[in-house]
Amino acid sequence: MTTETVNAAENAAGVVEKKRIGGIKGLIKKYENLGYKAKKKIMHFISRIFVYFVLIEMAFLFILPFIYIFSTSLMTSQDYMDPTVQYIPTTVNWDNFVKAFQALDYIPSFFNSLGTSLLSAIFQTLSCALIGYSLGRYKFRFRNIVFILVVLVLLIPPQVMILASYGLWATLSLVNTWGPVVLPAVFGLGLRGALFVMIYMYFFQRIPPVLDDSARIDGAGPVRVFGQIMLPLVKSAIAIVFIFSFVWHWNDNYEAPTYMYLEGKQTLQPRLANIRNYFNKYATSQMMSELDRALSEPMLFAGCLMVMFPVLLVYIFGQKQLAAGIERIGVIE
Amino acid sequence: MKQIKYKKKLAHSQKYTLMSFEKRRNLEGFVFSIPWLIGFLGFIVVPLVLSVRISFFQTVLTDLYGFQGTSTFVGINNYVKVIQDPSVGETVFKSFGMSLIKVPVIVAFSLFVAVLLKQEFPGRTVFRVIFFIPVILAGTIMTYLFADGVGNMSVFSSITTGSAEINTFFGTIMSNIGSIMWASSVEILIFLAALQSVPAILYEVVEIDGATAWESFWHVTLPYISPFVILNCIYALVDSFVASDNPVMSIMNSMTQEGTKYGQASALSWLYMLATLAVILIFILFTRRWLK
Repeated sequence: MTTETVNAAENAAGVVEKKRIGGIKGLIKKYENLGYKAKKKIMHFISRIFVYFVLIEMAFLFILPFIYIFSTSLMTSQDYMDPTVQYIPTTVNWDNFVKAFQALDYIPSFFNSLGTSLLSAIFQTLSCALIGYSLGRYKFRFRNIVFILVVLVLLIPPQVMILASYGLWATLSLVNTWGPVVLPAVFGLGLRGALFVMIYMYFFQRIPPVLDDSARIDGAGPVRVFGQIMLPLVKSAIAIVFIFSFVWHWNDNYEAPTYMYLEGKQTLQPRLANIRNYFNKYATSQMMSELDRALSEPMLFAGCLMVMFPVLLVYIFGQKQLAAGIERIGVIE
Repeated sequence: MKQIKYKKKLAHSQKYTLMSFEKRRNLEGFVFSIPWLIGFLGFIVVPLVLSVRISFFQTVLTDLYGFQGTSTFVGINNYVKVIQDPSVGETVFKSFGMSLIKVPVIVAFSLFVAVLLKQEFPGRTVFRVIFFIPVILAGTIMTYLFADGVGNMSVFSSITTGSAEINTFFGTIMSNIGSIMWASSVEILIFLAALQSVPAILYEVVEIDGATAWESFWHVTLPYISPFVILNCIYALVDSFVASDNPVMSIMNSMTQEGTKYGQASALSWLYMLATLAVILIFILFTRRWLK
């Protein structure tokens, strides 16, 4: 009897309470009364929505330039000048690509870019792994000094040395060959080599020492331990370094153009400026040069797309490895 | 007797007995870093020394290092000229100021993105890959794009009204928000690595103690990754100091293009490098207690 009346009273009170508080306050009240698990689920859901919202927004900002390049490269100059035409060209104009192909001097420049980037990337992936291995897994006497030197190389702007290095390469008569770009990469220096050394060092440090100890007990020498045990364990670092090295060499617009400047020896990046000047040479006044700019702009972006294309391929095919690398970087196993 | 013989056989490393085990290990480590050290001597030390030499000469291109006597030794004249040039000083200070504005924004933004990307949700690999697009597009293409106004969110800069200083401060950030975000790919990668190295057990512990996600970020994540915050600040500083769109770099380029000012360009590059190193050292001095 008594329990029933109590229950009834409680129910009545609950109904009254439900009636009294509604809206957001009621929701908060309800939320506070929930159990731990349910609370966690709801917070999780809310944070998900927030994460997706922010990330999609930003991802759009990162993809927008692609869309811009692609749509502009298909425009005619009239479309480009017309403020009512945004992103969707009125007619598809493939002619831009043909003109850009000629202005870029595409085939020799492409092979120069490909050769320097691919060779440098391969050499950097190997040589930076060597020094990264020695810094990450050994505590030899001068280790700290070598490490400080690596950091110093990271901090020295290339502009300080470019003049003197140019003179050096000129005396070795290696200017206008692939040498000045590829040779430093053989020794683990070159474009952002120090950064790659740090990435490798970081990865090698994370491998438990038990592994190489056991390999050594089984009779493996140092070279074998490095090649057969350690390198396969840092596959993700190799992917990161190779992709970044290739892409950065491909996009290099400072060192490579300085060393390789002759017509036919140039890489693709400096040739892009050539498209800009394709019409500009006829410009006489400010207004005319504005007009020339508008004329060359669709062509320029067609050229950009052609310059980007191989890098995009590397990115799309290496994307899985890269994602796996990012996934594993820093994780303690 | 037999047993002793056996022992001797086991220690088959007779060729190694010259060195102890540890010494041998250390030597191995040193040998692995020898190729890099050779490269360092050849491609870093030699050009650096030569560029110091160039900076003391009035150089012509045929005798860049002044070994043949065509170039004239001018002592510290080149340095004096660079320091006395008011436009150079102004540009250097402006570019430093710009970097000091940019760096905190880059670091904060990349930390924010890295925290979001670290979470487990379906499709995160797609987003992770998207955030590396700037690395692909970097280089000349980006300059053309920003010249065309793609990265300019002019909407933002029109919001900021108020006093002139605040306006210019936020104006520079907001009108460059695209380029700032685009400069942060490597920083995002470093932060992701740092975040993934925080042991999951720490989060479990504070969760049991009743900490919210916000609290655990401030009391677990941030203290744990603080060295990486500093590292990222340094990387972003260096990156903005040596970026090709830095006005100081264009001064250097125009000096070398004139053909007679190689000495001055070298002097300027040395002064600039020393200034940047000083800025970085001061920064490290102030932040060293978080570097551990």
